[in-house]
Order: sequence, then C-alpha cells, then structure tokens
Amino acid sequence: MPLALSAVLAASAAGTSSDSSAFLRQYLTVAIFAAAAVVMVGAMLGLGRLLRPSRPQEQKSIAYESGVDPVGQGWSQSQVRYYVFALLFVMFDVEAVFIFPWATRLEAMGTYGLVEMAIFIGILVLGLVYAWRKGVLRWV
Amino acid sequence: MHALLAVASSFTGPRLDYHALAPEIILTATLVLVLLADLVLEERNQWLISNLAGIGVLASVIPIITLAVQNHAARSMAGGAYVVDDFSLVLKALFLGIGYVVLLMSTNYVEEGDYYQGEYYFLLLASLLGMVVMASARDLITIFVALETLSIPAYMLAGWRKRDLKSNEAAIKYYLLGVLASAVMLYGMSLVFGYTGSTVLTEIGKQVNGSITHKPVITLGIFFIVIGFAFKVSAVPFHFWAPDTYEGSPTPVTAFLSVASKTAGFVALLELIYVGFLGRNDVWGPMFWVLAALTMTVGNLIALRQTNVVRLLAYSSIAQAGYVLVPFAVAGDNIAARRSSFTAAVVYLMIYAAMNLGAFSVVIAVARKTRSGDISSYGGLFEYAPGLTVAMTVFLFALAGIPPAGGWFAKLMVFRAVLDSGTTWAVVLGVIAGVNSVIALYYYAAVAREMWMSPVPDGDVTPVRVPAPLLASLGLTGLVVMAIGVYPQLFAHFGDLGTLVR
Amino acid sequence: MNAFDHWALSGAVFIPILGAVLLAFVPKRLEVEIKAVALLTTVVTAGVGVYLLAHFDYDKTHQLQYAVDRSWIDVISSRYHIGLDGISLPMLALSMFISVLCIVYSWDHFPEPHNPKAFLILLLVLETGMNGTFVAQDLILFFVFFELVLLPMYFMIGVWGGPNRQYASIKFFLVTLFGSALMILSFLALYFKVTLPDGSHTFDIVKLASVHGAGIAHGAQLLIFGGLFIGFAIKVPMFPFHTWLPDAHTEAPTVGSVILAAILLKLGTYGFIRIAIPILPEAAKSWAPWIGVLAVIGIIYGALGCLAQRDMKRLIAFSSIAHMGFVMLGISTLTTYGINAAIFGMVAHGLITGMLFFLAGSIQERFHTRELDRLGGLLLQAPRMGWILGFCAMASLGLPGLAGFWGEFPAILSTYSPAVGLNLALFRTFMVIASIGTVLAAGYLLWMLQRVAFGTVKAEFEHEHIHDMHGPEYLAWTPILVLIVLLGVVPGIVFRVTDKPVQKVTVAHVEQRRSVVTGQTAVGQP
Repeated sequence: MPLALSAVLAASAAGTSSDSSAFLRQYLTVAIFAAAAVVMVGAMLGLGRLLRPSRPQEQKSIAYESGVDPVGQGWSQSQVRYYVFALLFVMFDVEAVFIFPWATRLEAMGTYGLVEMAIFIGILVLGLVYAWRKGVLRWV
Repeated sequence: MHALLAVASSFTGPRLDYHALAPEIILTATLVLVLLADLVLEERNQWLISNLAGIGVLASVIPIITLAVQNHAARSMAGGAYVVDDFSLVLKALFLGIGYVVLLMSTNYVEEGDYYQGEYYFLLLASLLGMVVMASARDLITIFVALETLSIPAYMLAGWRKRDLKSNEAAIKYYLLGVLASAVMLYGMSLVFGYTGSTVLTEIGKQVNGSITHKPVITLGIFFIVIGFAFKVSAVPFHFWAPDTYEGSPTPVTAFLSVASKTAGFVALLELIYVGFLGRNDVWGPMFWVLAALTMTVGNLIALRQTNVVRLLAYSSIAQAGYVLVPFAVAGDNIAARRSSFTAAVVYLMIYAAMNLGAFSVVIAVARKTRSGDISSYGGLFEYAPGLTVAMTVFLFALAGIPPAGGWFAKLMVFRAVLDSGTTWAVVLGVIAGVNSVIALYYYAAVAREMWMSPVPDGDVTPVRVPAPLLASLGLTGLVVMAIGVYPQLFAHFGDLGTLVR
Repeated sequence: MNAFDHWALSGAVFIPILGAVLLAFVPKRLEVEIKAVALLTTVVTAGVGVYLLAHFDYDKTHQLQYAVDRSWIDVISSRYHIGLDGISLPMLALSMFISVLCIVYSWDHFPEPHNPKAFLILLLVLETGMNGTFVAQDLILFFVFFELVLLPMYFMIGVWGGPNRQYASIKFFLVTLFGSALMILSFLALYFKVTLPDGSHTFDIVKLASVHGAGIAHGAQLLIFGGLFIGFAIKVPMFPFHTWLPDAHTEAPTVGSVILAAILLKLGTYGFIRIAIPILPEAAKSWAPWIGVLAVIGIIYGALGCLAQRDMKRLIAFSSIAHMGFVMLGISTLTTYGINAAIFGMVAHGLITGMLFFLAGSIQERFHTRELDRLGGLLLQAPRMGWILGFCAMASLGLPGLAGFWGEFPAILSTYSPAVGLNLALFRTFMVIASIGTVLAAGYLLWMLQRVAFGTVKAEFEHEHIHDMHGPEYLAWTPILVLIVLLGVVPGIVFRVTDKPVQKVTVAHVEQRRSVVTGQTAVGQP
C-alpha cells in the first residue's frame, strides 16, 4: 500500500506539462490522501459490521452517561462556566501547537528562538494571570 | 529534502533595528504594564492606570523624535515588509498624538462610568499598537495583521458599556461588518499574492507595473482590497455600520474610531496605492472617484437631518472621509497630481484628527452636564459655558473649512490636487466637493446657532465643570487647529514626505 | 523704511485681534474695563492708521508702501504679502475710523442679550478681518481675511439681532459662503493657469496683475472671472444676489448694520477693483456690459424696493443696493474716471449709510419701532436727531457739496464714454437709467425723511419723553458728519490718492483707448 501510494505521488510530481497543471497536481496528493482515509475508515467499519453479531435492544441505543440513566432531553443548556474552560483550553492548546514544531527546531534557532518563545509564553501567562486575578478559575 | 534542511539549519533570526522598533516595543510594554496594574491595584487606585497609559504613549513618542532627528535613510526590515521612514514616523506620531488626546478625553469618562477601567486602557493601547504598526507596514500580511490588531480591540471597546443595548448594537454591527470587510480584503490580497507570488508591496508594485499589468485577477484583487478598506473608512455605500456604531459606543471611543481607525484605513490605502498598485490607476481611479462623490454627498445630505450631535458628527466624519478620498481619485492622473494628492491626503488626515477630536471633547464636556447628545440640549450654551461654545464653534467651522480655523487649508490642498490633475473628471469631482462644503456648512452652523442663539432648554445655567484632562485635550486640539489655520506652513511640510511617491 | 514702518501695517491688521485675545481674559463682570480695553485697542489701531497716513508717500500712491513680503505657506507658494496703495488707503482708513466710532456709539447701547465682552471681541475680530482684506496682496491671504469677516458678523446678527435673526444670519452666511467657494476655486484656477514670465505660478496679486492674465484662453478667462464675479457680487451685493442683504440689515444690531453697510459691502467692490479687473482685463471687458446691466437694474430695483418698505432699516438696506449699483456702474465702465468715482462712492456710501443706520438704531431705541407708519414728528421731539437725519438724507441722495455727490455723479458721467471696446450706446442707455435712479433716490429719501422727521408726533408717542442725542452719539456722529461735509467740499483728498493706482488698474484698457480714439483720454480728476 505505501509503495503504491508513493508511486502515484512520484508520477504526479514528475509529469509537469505546464505550471498550472503542476500546481493543480499538488492538490492531487491531497485528494489521494483524503480518498485513502475514507477507504480505510469505511473498510474497518464495514468489516466490523460484517463480522459482529447483531442483537438490538432498547437499552443499547440509550446515550451512555457514566453508567447512570440519562435524565431529560439531549438539548439541555450547559453551564456557562464550561465556556471559560473552553477558552482556557484553547489558550493552552494553541500554545502547545506552536511549541511542538518550535521544540524540534530549537537547536537551529538558538538563543533567538528561545527569547521568541519566552515572549510568546509570557504573553499567554499574562492572559492566565489575568484570568486568575479576575476570578475566572474559581468554580463558584 | 536535504536542501531544505540545509537552509533551515543555517537559520539566522531577522535583523531587528531596535531603535526603529522602539515605539512599538515601548507601547507593548506599556499595555502589559497596564494590564498588570489593573490586576494588582485596588479600586481606589485605579486612576493610576490612565496616567500610566498616558506616560507610556508619550514615552513612545521619544524614539520617534530621536529617529526623526537622525535623518537616517529609511530603515527597512524583514525584506522590506516593515519600513520606518519619514512617512511612517510622521504617521506614528500622529497616531500616538491621537491616542494621547483620546486618553485625556477618556480619563474622567471611564472613571465615572461603572464599567471596567483597566481593560478599557488595555484595549485602547492595543488598538493603538496596531495603528503604529500599520504606519510601517509595507507588506500585505503585515498590513492585515496590523489591521486586525487595531480592529479587534476596537470591536470590544465599542461594546464597553455592556449593559447598554445601544453599545451592544454598536459592537456587534461593527464586529460583523468589520469581519466581512476583512474577509473581502483578504480575498483580494490572496488573489494579488497568487499572481505576483509576493506579499511585499514593492515587489508587487514592480510586477503590477510590468509583466502582469492587465491580468484580470489583479484587477479583481485590487477591487476587493479597495472595497475592504472602503468598509474600514466608512465610505458610502459601505458606511451603514458607522452611525449606529458611533452613536452606541462610549463617546471617547467614538472619537477614537472616527479619527484613528479611519486614519489607519487611509494610511493602509496610501501604502497599497502608492507602493503596490500605482500602475493600475485605471482600476482604482474610477473606484475612488465614485466612492468620494457618493461619500461626500450622501454623508452631508443625511447629516442635514440629524438631531443628535454624535450622529451628526458621525455623518460629518463620513463626509470628511469623502474629501480625503478625492485626492485618491485624482492621484493617478499625472506626476504633479500624484505628489499633491499624497500631500493633500496626509495633511487632511492630520488636520481632520485635530478638529474632530476637539469637537468630540466638547461633546463629552457638555454631556457631563446635560447627560444628552441632542442638538437641542446645546441651546444657550453660550450663556453658561462661553469657553466651550467658542471652542466648539472653532472646531465646527474648522470642519466646515472656514478660515482662520484649520480646516480650510486641508480643503485647499484637496482642491490643489484636483487642479493639478486638471482632467474634466477631476474638476467635476472638485466642484462636487465645493458644493458639498457649502451644504456641510448648514449643519455645522445649525449647531453653532443652537449654542449661540437659542435659549437654554431647561433654564439650568449652572456652569459646566470641565475636568483638567478634558481641558487639556480641548486646549491641545484647539491650539493645533488654530495654529494650522493661521500658519499652515508649520504642518504642511509633514505632508510633503515623498518617501512613498515615486 | 525703518523698523516701525515695516511692522506698522501688520500692526494695523493684528492689533485688534490681540485686543480681542486680551479681552477674553478680562472677567465678564468688569464691563467698564472691557469697554475701555476694546476702545483703547481700536484707538491704538487708528493711531497706527494715522501714522500710516502721515508717512504715506502721496506722490507714489500707485506703489505698494509699507510692503511686507514674507514666506507664509511655502507648500502652495502663498506668501504673507501686504502693502498699502492708493486704493487700499481710503478703505483701510474708513475701516479703522468706523470701528472706533462703533465702539464709542455702543458704549451704553449694547443690544440684548447685552454681553459686551463677547460683542466687543467679535467687533475686534471683525476689524482684523476687514483691515487685513484691504491690505492683503496675496490671493490666499486675501481669502483668509475675507472669510474671517464672515463668522463674527454671523454671530453678531444671530445673537444680538432682531426677532428673525436666526434666519437672517444663516442666510447671510450660506449665501456668502457659496460665493467664497466659487471665489477660492477661481483663485486656484488663476494660480494654475497664469504663468509668469519666469515660468512660475503665484498667488501674488501684484505679480498676477502685471501679466494681465497672459496665457489663459479667453473661454477660461471668462469662467474664472465668472467665479470671481459671483463671489464678489454676492458681497456687494448686486441685483440677483442681493436677497440676503435686506434680511441681514433688518435683523442686525445697529453696530452690525453700520459695519455691514460701511465696510463689508465694500469688500466686494474692492475685490473687483483689486483682483478681478486688473488680473483678467480681457474677461472684464466681456463681462462689463453684464455688470453694467445688473448695476442699473440694482439702481432701479433698489429704489423701487425702497418705496415699498414700511421698515426704516429695510428701506436703508434697499437704498444700499441702489447705491452700490452706482459704484458697480462706475466700475463697469472700466475707465479711470469711473473706477475713481466708484472708490469715492464706496467711501461716501460707507459714511452716509453707516450714519443712517446709526440714526435708525437710535430711533428704534427710543421708539421701540422702526415702522414708518408709526413714526413721525422727530423734529418736534428730538430736533437735533431730526436735522441730522435730514442732513444724511440729503447727503445720500447726492446733493452737491456733500460726499454722496462725488460718488454718484461722476459714476453716471463715466458711462458716457466707457472703455474702448464697450458698447457706447448700451452704456449711454445705462446713463439715462441711472439718472432716473437718482431722481427715485431723491424720492424715497425725502419720503422717508418726511414720514419720520416731519409732521406731528403719532398719538402713541405723544406723551412719551424722547431723549435727544446722548453723549456717545455726539462723539460717534460728529466725526462722520464733518467728514461728509469735508469730502463733499474737497473731494480731491480721496481722488488724489486713488487716481494713480486706478490708472494702473485700467492700464490695459486705457492704452487701447489712446491708440484708437485720439484726443479723448481718460480723465482722472473730475
């Protein structure tokens, strides 16, 4: 499978008849990967469905909520406090997204890179301190 | 793969000219300090924050002065994406000046309002930072980043009075249309980038003048970028957000939006047009012509019917943006027009800043007593606040362009640009501008008439107490407006910075 | 030129505004001090004026004297260029003179809502504007001073005026500003279109006038002159542009009316003589018949308008339209003779009509009405004032021996032989019509005099005590009356000053005349 894929990729990269088609062919890679993903997921789920036994019961289609029977509708209002959690999560998440690639190149970038990242983290820390002082982190 | 690794391993950080970046760095440090100060200070010491912000803004002016006296050639960074030259120094100074006056206007307003103080100054400084960056941006991405840096805090500032419905409306309208404008602009930028393969304006300029001059995609790109900025500078027919946003926002924020934010939009346009798209005046020339004519006329005509002074100033600032668009419309006609248009636009922006901020200072001062923005509440102001009345009169007639208050010189420079171009279309636009300045006088004079000639509506003639910061902002703007009016040479050569004009 | 000479003219322009700034710092309740500062300022200004007059070289009236030419706005190559010549001199003198008298007159006559501080500050700003306009030798400088006059007058009418003051003031303001907008466009067009021999462009009036609009196509000249014409004609005001004047005059406070009539109207005619005609002589020639037509229409219309008025101030306002018609008629001939007459007419009208407005103001103050139907028998109740009214009416209708005559009569006479190239028959028709205008003038002025001064006192005022003239009135009016007689007897004082510079104004036309019509040279002095 990987061999076949790389062969297709090589073919798509090699045939450069004109600039614009070369440009478009770069997207072919994306298309092939997307198709491979769909096929793979489809194959696994489909295979499972073919192999497993099927004995439907009512309890089995109830939403699973920590082993407790669910109460009320699925469309219930959630606590606004979760919103703050979401925001804080985004903050750290973005931080991580930037830190990982940076970590792989840290040696090459040297002190400059270190200072830059310190500034970046410093700004995020500032946001965290702000959230903390404003009492956002307290669950009341 | 190996080549890529080799390039990456020999990584050198971009050379930064810390002297040239000092204003931005000081401003950033200040806004961090402001945020921290807000966290550690108790309620009764919060007044320190505005002082801290003011000192920070003034401190950022110091490196601008040292850079200016050095008479250094343009300092270019990041491959020409970030340039500190005479033009950007003057505009940075202008933005910081506007920022300082807005801080003065805000101090008491914010202190007496029952909303967050620290955040207000933090957001204001953040927006200001975006503007200061904008003055140096010579690259599509830098321009976009600067624009977002100045816009996003501004959206939040517009909604600062969060328990007030009008303020909510102001913020959401401003936000939605601002984002729409950003999207349209970004689309245009991506088209231009796609065809030129560069985001640096000088490089784009070379290509737009040369090989790809008449690619339709470039035309489309320029079209969308101009439309995007037309939203930002609230040019008709993309102005609908402006009056509601201006009315609902806290008044100092309105002043800030109508002056600083608008100026930043025009600065970006100057950079884009003069450095990037000079070769395609067949695209933007007619666009600006139509925008200018519509903006002046519609802005003025709707202003005639306003009964609220903030809305009146909002529409007047739309009309004023129309006058600034006039030089853009004629800039491409010939070399003389190109030069004088540039001067006219910069001079107009500087004078407009002084007179509009002054007018808003008076509005804030008067609203402290009357708690109202209705023009009728200005009745008989002359009887109990003669100083404010005289100041407002000066600002209004400066906006109308009557000598000796500053505005006349700005209009004169616009007319000069029009006549330098000399084409029939340019002259027609000049005549439209002339007729509009007479129409505009009617509503400016209507406010003056109310202040001087009408009786006090509620008979309450206790004098208006003007706090010191507001007095300072009135004094500063008034002084600048009168100084420009009497001796324009003092400021005129600031506009004569040909660093962008080729 | 010594150092003081160098600064004197600028002093004459800016001392009033310095006084105004000083006044702003005097507390409002110190009324006497406020009045004293204001009076002192105008007197000092007038003192500088006397110095200027005394040291003026009367043999070189055609040259700019006390000239100062400094850089002002380099970006648009506009310079701070001021200077005094024979045309400016009488106007400047008139402006300073009237300003002093206005403050003297209003000493204890401040109109409602009182507030002498603001009133006097406006008056002083106004004086700076007027003086500056008369000495400015740069188009942009001229424009700035010309506009500076607008605001104080707007507020003077709007705040201290009569019941309909808001309408009158905004109308005055908008109409005049409309003219200014066209004027400034014409100024800019002159800058761009006129090329000096050395290839440069300029706003300098002297330099522009020296090239007589060389290099501008005739069509463009006509358009530019048209812009100037509307700008100045609104200020004069000439016939179709006059509608703001009766309202403004009727509603303005007395002092406002006096300054409006005596000086502001002259800014328009002065603009024609100083700017429009010398800079664009060719276009002036094409426009002259139209100016003449509008002038005579103004004369007849103004006179007929007077006969229909029931309000004394409105009547005097309409008479102003007629009198300024004579001035414009003199200008339209484009002859030295006619323009000399026009300048004399400007001075004379300034004195006489100014005086009439003073009288109307004083009468209103005493009777609380200006309606001709309700007035009568002034001679019985206040004989001195009545006789002065009679005297002024006589002066206004152009009685020989008084100042009015020398403005009106030579202006009519000049239309007999207008500049070469102008239609002789047309201008002689103007002459006939203008002569009828003088008869009508006699008619309405005597009619007014008869209704106000003669006859018996109306029943409603029979038992009221009407005070004859006050001290301030004596002080303010005597100098005007003396000047009216003096200029009437010795008109040469003005003509001697104006003749040479006027010859310079008409030089383009006079030279042609000499070459075409031999033996019929333009006469300078009547």
